[in-house]
Amino acid sequence: MKNIVIKLLASLMLFAFAFSANAAASEHATTEQQVSSTHKEENYQSKPFSEMITGFLESTGIVALVNPREDEMSATGQPMSDFHKGLGRVIMILVTFLLFWLAIAKGFEPLLLLPIAFGGLLANIPVAGIAGDHGFLGVIYQMGLSNEMFPIIIFMGVGAMTDFGPLLSNPKTALLGGAAQFGIFGTLVGAVALSQASLVDFTLQQASAISIIGGADGPTSIFIATKLAPELLGAIAVASYSYMAMVPIIQPPIMKALTSEAERKIKMSTLRHVSRLEKLIFPILVLVLAILVLPESTPLIGAFMFGNFLKESGVVERLNDTLQNALINITTIFLGLGVGSKLAADQFLVPETMFIMVLGIVAFSVGTAAGVLMAKIMNLFPGHKINPLIGSAGVSAVPMAARVSNKVGMEYDRTNMLLMHAMGPNVAGVIGSAVAAGVLISLFQ
Amino acid sequence: METNLVIEGVKFMFLGMGTVFAFLIIMILFMNLMSYVIHKFFPEPQPSADMQQAGAQKDNKKIIAAITAAIAHHRQG
Repeated sequence: MKNIVIKLLASLMLFAFAFSANAAASEHATTEQQVSSTHKEENYQSKPFSEMITGFLESTGIVALVNPREDEMSATGQPMSDFHKGLGRVIMILVTFLLFWLAIAKGFEPLLLLPIAFGGLLANIPVAGIAGDHGFLGVIYQMGLSNEMFPIIIFMGVGAMTDFGPLLSNPKTALLGGAAQFGIFGTLVGAVALSQASLVDFTLQQASAISIIGGADGPTSIFIATKLAPELLGAIAVASYSYMAMVPIIQPPIMKALTSEAERKIKMSTLRHVSRLEKLIFPILVLVLAILVLPESTPLIGAFMFGNFLKESGVVERLNDTLQNALINITTIFLGLGVGSKLAADQFLVPETMFIMVLGIVAFSVGTAAGVLMAKIMNLFPGHKINPLIGSAGVSAVPMAARVSNKVGMEYDRTNMLLMHAMGPNVAGVIGSAVAAGVLISLFQ
Repeated sequence: METNLVIEGVKFMFLGMGTVFAFLIIMILFMNLMSYVIHKFFPEPQPSADMQQAGAQKDNKKIIAAITAAIAHHRQG
């Protein structure tokens, strides 16, 4: 009982003390408030309530879409047409909904398509200016895309995921990965031909950036696009990733059209065992060759081989794990959002986008056909026969293209496992498109 | 338009495809050279399986039988 009384007294005293302190503080605060309120009144004019309501209503998104403001500028600070401020944005928001559907319901490269599409949705919000210089998408773009940082980091992760074993055990299949790069350069000629025919106005830089879609390699496309034609980045990235997702639809008809039944049933000799030392030396070997032959390609090849070297070294499991998982995932989020910021209506809803989409699918198809034909040419020479179906895997798109080769092969002979054979040209295709990218960069230096 | 863009594009194509193939052919040559050197001078230590082999023989036969059965089943299905 005594205890309780003491406690009660003590708490009362504490309370009284706190209250007095509080009162003193609030006295102090009221004087300050008076000062600041007189200060504020200079800027803030009292308005009638009705005016406040109309003022608020004028700032809503609906009004901004229906009746765009005169002074609103695009993310790059250019004046925009009323179409791009109003209806264009609505169309683009619907386009991003379509991309959501493709990614979620159809499983089209959801890891990249979802962040890109959501970035596109945010970039098309009127007034907020999220894709502008001070919006967060704009900041992400400045942080890692305009300086080509994110694609390089992705390349490191892809390198850490790549196994060069199948290529090392059958080196000549690398030629298939080279042939498929014809998709890039063939499309380049196509794009400049369109431009020459005055159908569309592409500069040589823009045509090169578009044609790299044929390399079927997302990070490479983004790397080249930001370097040579940043204004086309949105369309190029969307085309590149959506066609990569459509590889299982695009490739099989071309592969079947160019091969005979007997060729599709060719069985390839089993791959030899590759020693650990070979796998360890290979990334350094390729990098040294790149340094000697084409230094312009070393940002991409260097990052790729760095990732692969860490993996094959076998002594930095933690770094390897981070590259393959945490780092590439974080970068993918930022890369997607940054690319999405280029889906703003004023940059995407232009006639060029349609041509980019068409040229992109042409590039993919030509690359596939060139790989298959190259395999048929190689079969004319003596040596182990190559199943032409693995030629299509020369367009990078790791590992989707190799799986497609395997699947088509199994349709004709269920015991014919082509997957590992197709991985050879597949990873060679990545090196091939990095070299092709290096050539294009060096031409514009 | 003074310069013919198509001709420029064709030039790009020959240069680009030439470089890609040159790079890959050099890479293939070096890969073959590398595997030759490594197999000649640094052969991988073969796992000394002689001791285990006798014991493993029976198991191996069982495994082969299981695989054969699985393949036969797969072909039927």
